[in-house]
Amino acid sequence: MTRLLAGEPAVVTAGATVFEEALAAQAVRYEPVDWRPPIPGSENALAAVMADPRREGANAAAVERLLTSGPRLVDVLSARDALGIEPGTFFHAGPPTGWELASGPLRGALIGAALFEGLAEAPDKAEALFARPGRIVLDSCHHHGAVGPMAGVLSSSMWTFVVEDAEHGGRSYCSLNEGLGRVLRYGAYGAEVIERLRWMSAVLGPVLQASVRRHGPVDLKAIIAQALQMGDELHNRNRAATSLLIRELAADLVDCGAPTGQVAEVLRFVGGNDHFFLNLSMAAAKVAADAARNIPGSTMVVAIARNGTDFGVQVSGVPDRWFTAPAAVPDGLYFGGYSPADANPDIGDSTIMETFGVGGFAMAAAPAIVRFVGGEVPEALAATQAMYEITLAENPAFQIPILDFRGTPTGVDVTKIARTGILPAINTGIAGREAGTGQVGAGLVTPPPDVFVAALETLAAAVPPRQVA
Amino acid sequence: MTCLATRTTLPRPWRSDRDRPPLAGAASLGLRPLLDGPRRPGRVLAAFPSAVYVEVRTGREPRVLGLVIPEAVRLPNAVVVTAPELRAQLASVQVGTEASVGDGVVELGGVRVRARRWWDPAPVLGPVSRIGLERGVAALQRLLDRCPRHHGLTGHPAPGNLATACVAGDLAGTVDAAERIVGLGPGLTPSGDDMLAGLLVALRVLGGAVAEGADTAGGRGGEAAGEEAVWLAGWLGAAVTPYADTRTTTLAATLLHCAAQGRPSAEMAAVLRALAGHEPLEPAATRLLATGHTSGADLTWGLLTGCLSILGGARGRRRESA
Amino acid sequence: MTDWVTVRPGAYHDSVSLMRASRTLSELDGVETATMAMATELNRDLLTRAGFTIPGDVGPNDLVIAIRASDDAALNRARAQLDTVAGNLLGRADRRTNADAGVAAPRTVGSAARRLDASVALVSVPGPHAYVEAIDALDAGLDVVIFSDNVPVEQEVALKEEARRRGLLVMGPDCGTVVVGGVGLGFANALRGGPVGIVAASGTGAQQVACLLDAAGTGVSHVLGVGGRDLASEVAGRSTVQALAALDADPATELIVLVSKPPDPEVDRAVRQAANALSTPTLVAALGPGRDDLTAVAEKAISTLGGRPPTWPHWPAPRPQRPRPGAVRGLFAGGTLCEEAMLLAADQLGPVRSNVPLRPEWRLGSDLRAPGHVMLDFGDDRLTQGRPHPMIDSSLRTERLAAESRDPDCAVVLLDVVLGYVADPDPATTLAPAIREARSGAERDGRDLAVVASLCGTEADPQGLLRQAEALRDAGAAVFVSNAAAARHAVALIEGVRR
Repeated sequence: MTRLLAGEPAVVTAGATVFEEALAAQAVRYEPVDWRPPIPGSENALAAVMADPRREGANAAAVERLLTSGPRLVDVLSARDALGIEPGTFFHAGPPTGWELASGPLRGALIGAALFEGLAEAPDKAEALFARPGRIVLDSCHHHGAVGPMAGVLSSSMWTFVVEDAEHGGRSYCSLNEGLGRVLRYGAYGAEVIERLRWMSAVLGPVLQASVRRHGPVDLKAIIAQALQMGDELHNRNRAATSLLIRELAADLVDCGAPTGQVAEVLRFVGGNDHFFLNLSMAAAKVAADAARNIPGSTMVVAIARNGTDFGVQVSGVPDRWFTAPAAVPDGLYFGGYSPADANPDIGDSTIMETFGVGGFAMAAAPAIVRFVGGEVPEALAATQAMYEITLAENPAFQIPILDFRGTPTGVDVTKIARTGILPAINTGIAGREAGTGQVGAGLVTPPPDVFVAALETLAAAVPPRQVA
Repeated sequence: MTCLATRTTLPRPWRSDRDRPPLAGAASLGLRPLLDGPRRPGRVLAAFPSAVYVEVRTGREPRVLGLVIPEAVRLPNAVVVTAPELRAQLASVQVGTEASVGDGVVELGGVRVRARRWWDPAPVLGPVSRIGLERGVAALQRLLDRCPRHHGLTGHPAPGNLATACVAGDLAGTVDAAERIVGLGPGLTPSGDDMLAGLLVALRVLGGAVAEGADTAGGRGGEAAGEEAVWLAGWLGAAVTPYADTRTTTLAATLLHCAAQGRPSAEMAAVLRALAGHEPLEPAATRLLATGHTSGADLTWGLLTGCLSILGGARGRRRESA
Repeated sequence: MTDWVTVRPGAYHDSVSLMRASRTLSELDGVETATMAMATELNRDLLTRAGFTIPGDVGPNDLVIAIRASDDAALNRARAQLDTVAGNLLGRADRRTNADAGVAAPRTVGSAARRLDASVALVSVPGPHAYVEAIDALDAGLDVVIFSDNVPVEQEVALKEEARRRGLLVMGPDCGTVVVGGVGLGFANALRGGPVGIVAASGTGAQQVACLLDAAGTGVSHVLGVGGRDLASEVAGRSTVQALAALDADPATELIVLVSKPPDPEVDRAVRQAANALSTPTLVAALGPGRDDLTAVAEKAISTLGGRPPTWPHWPAPRPQRPRPGAVRGLFAGGTLCEEAMLLAADQLGPVRSNVPLRPEWRLGSDLRAPGHVMLDFGDDRLTQGRPHPMIDSSLRTERLAAESRDPDCAVVLLDVVLGYVADPDPATTLAPAIREARSGAERDGRDLAVVASLCGTEADPQGLLRQAEALRDAGAAVFVSNAAAARHAVALIEGVRR
């Protein structure tokens, strides 16, 4: 029953300011909404979806599944063993695409992967291989429970983390992080890149496998929660999380039976790579987001991903469908000598972090890196605060100290995006446009609003007809 | 769509504080005589970040008025100001600051508040059945027992004597015990006064409601018991309030005066509404129990004692003295 | 093309500051590229590949600055800028505190509700968008007042269904007046508390009844507007029934009055049935020919509670008003007040033409002019498109008043003045001079124009009933707090009317 008549009202106002003035004149508590019209063109779909009787329950269920997921690192395997990838099959970041449409960095990474797999002996041969129809299979990582940063290319002989959801039972996979500089994920395929990949398959993967198996499952949720309180936002800063991971595994690395020299190589490699944990936080986010998939009526985003050409999203209530629009070039800061002209449009699955409610959504937790993506601390706080306007929940496990330990804004709701015009805050690395260049900068991405409107329209079409009592 | 935005509020260069329009306040109806009357001088009695209490030089109750922000405990002599400016303005107010109250305006230091709206601290409960009240009292007693805060006179004989006399319907004994409890306990509102205030409000407000509920199912016997409680509240209030002027703090005396008229704090009013079945008891009782240091527990003790007196009367007790 | 490279040993800066400084330098006229970077191996390598010559003895703790400009002049300009740029960008200029930073106003009703622990939402966004905010309010567990009009009827039904499912109230769309616990939401008067709860499918109808009850000293517990369309067949009284139940459960409400324009007959039956099932006595008052006017409803309410209706306050015109030939012209801001006046006038005078006519054949053309008796509702949707409501801004009505003063056919002008929150903070300051002007204009033409004002308000309203009444009276008008009394008085001033 309404509690309106029980006492003095406290009023939310949306619209004309004269009503606020009248409430102020009566000494009534009120909170005005800074209301603006929704994204043009979304009005009808918005009304239809808001009227969906399933929406509220479906969103509550979706975000609950995301929040309660229990990601644990359980194994490290080759992609062949983990995902059954055969030579000649390549997974990549973002929505599905083909060689013809592939961007420079994706092409570069595919060329590198083909060289690494021994499918071609030179870059031009590799290009020819991909250009010829029928010989090669390309597919989106996301279609296989996997995610990959930047180009996100995964091939048969590469090694992957295997993450399991202790709560809901799902599994996810992500490659091992190669470090910074000229690396495959940014589209570089020089000899040093291939050589590093070989070492990762020969030494890094097996040593990690042995130590993880010896250690037993590693609780990634706990590491992420701690890292957020240590200045990481888990997308562009993973320094604390990487350190915590190594601390957790240290004894088992030493004790796993690998030659001391190899253990030292692994420790030196991981110790020199602040982003090492990124691929684990991505797998953790992926397994959590996947737990929230396919709930009819839910308007929650379960994947945000880019392949260097297109920006795509998926929502829980529309099973497995991608909504895509051309990806934009991030707005950011460039390494010396590079300019926006050198930049490739936005690329990578790492936006699974924002899908999970961290990354750009937790910028307030990571003042140390806000300037790295071209911002200042107040902007970072504002970015996180704004995300509460478009999300369904606050993650009680992931707290932001500077916001009085408020939980991270979690579960992007496309209806709220359409209503407010506030787009997900995403921070990202910037890849060079030319295949083989590598990283040229870092910055913020403005997602194309159309993808959310398109998702909303599809959700609207699926709303069951209303039964009026 | 009708266009509403015609009057634009322009920032005006106020020449002084006196030029600035007063903040809007929502005042308790109990303050009407004080606020509607001519302007009288006063001084700040107590100053907190969320409230200031002003004593007005007048021969009649209510003499103390509170200027409070919405989050503060809402006593029955409060003027609530929602404008965020008040918070900052209260910071500069100190005990002893000169004030004036009247012509609808409260003024102290740089603070000016005009009563724009009146709220009634007395809850309207409608008829309450005896059975419903019994159930509510049992639940409230459990919540009080569970509360780690005890009333402020634990170990002192006065509360026990008051309760015994009151539940027995012994007016002379009640008044005698009440006179021994006024002003007892430390603080701005001594425990003894809070206990009496809870008792007075329960007798008057719930007594009236039980009398009204007499003809409902489960309400038999309620009429006499309810009327007796109201009668007891009348005598007890008349006996205690003049006495309070000299025996307790000025604020506590004003609050006793309000309680005798059936005007509780908003927190206590919520518990009364809950006892009458209009809202859930636990959250309301939790809020009341959390007020002040022991105030919440003191008030709850008084409320329960009043309820037990009403229920005792409903079992057929005779009025023994008049 | 000129290159310039310099090294500042031991000047450590973070990469972000350096990237920003580089960008600023690169944007200078004539500068091809500019890099400020710590001289790490990677950075030295990049600069070398870009064609710069880097000294061999620098290390990662040294700052290297490399500028390539189109000519020496441009290079010198860039070098001149260097210290400023470095000073500004490498310094930490921005020293704002973080404590409150980033907290922006809420953008949705749901978000605002979480911040305030609110109990009700007041939605006045444009009609096509009102549904979304209202459903969000219901999701957040709030009751909703929807002031917006132009909300599609199927959305109204959907909202009210959803509200019923959740035990909440949707008041509106097109709801102008709600008062809960003494607090006015929308156009509302400052009312004294009392035992009468009002459910209203008409805003000014509720205001009239409430103000009369206030004047009588009876007082009002709550006024729940339900929106002008609630009693139409499509909406079927969904909110009316909910509001009746809410008032029935409210211990402060001893009598319920339902005020409406004539409802759909089937809905009327259903609502009366619902009213009969309540434990609180309920008066159902629907305006219509031969039915009680609003003043009679208020009087009935007072009698039902055992009181005696008072003599309603009125202020006679300073110069006695006598019957004269001609027509009555009503200029209204309140739709229900207009309707009530038309019902009373038509009963005595015959056809009353209007933009909201009692009968279709009495509808005015788009110029809103006709000979004979005319009553206009200036608050009608078609007259308020893109302009302020006449309760806020009287200019349309004062223009019409001036026009009527020049019309030899016009003998009596009847107008309403609605006080309260949101309404014009001092309507008499514009209306009184307009009345004075109209009367003296007519007098110059040899006519005595009678002005009758129906003043709906309370003494506690921000405008003050008495002050407004006296100002209107001093301008030459006869003033009534009862709209029905005002209308009857105006009609009686037309010569030849049977009395």
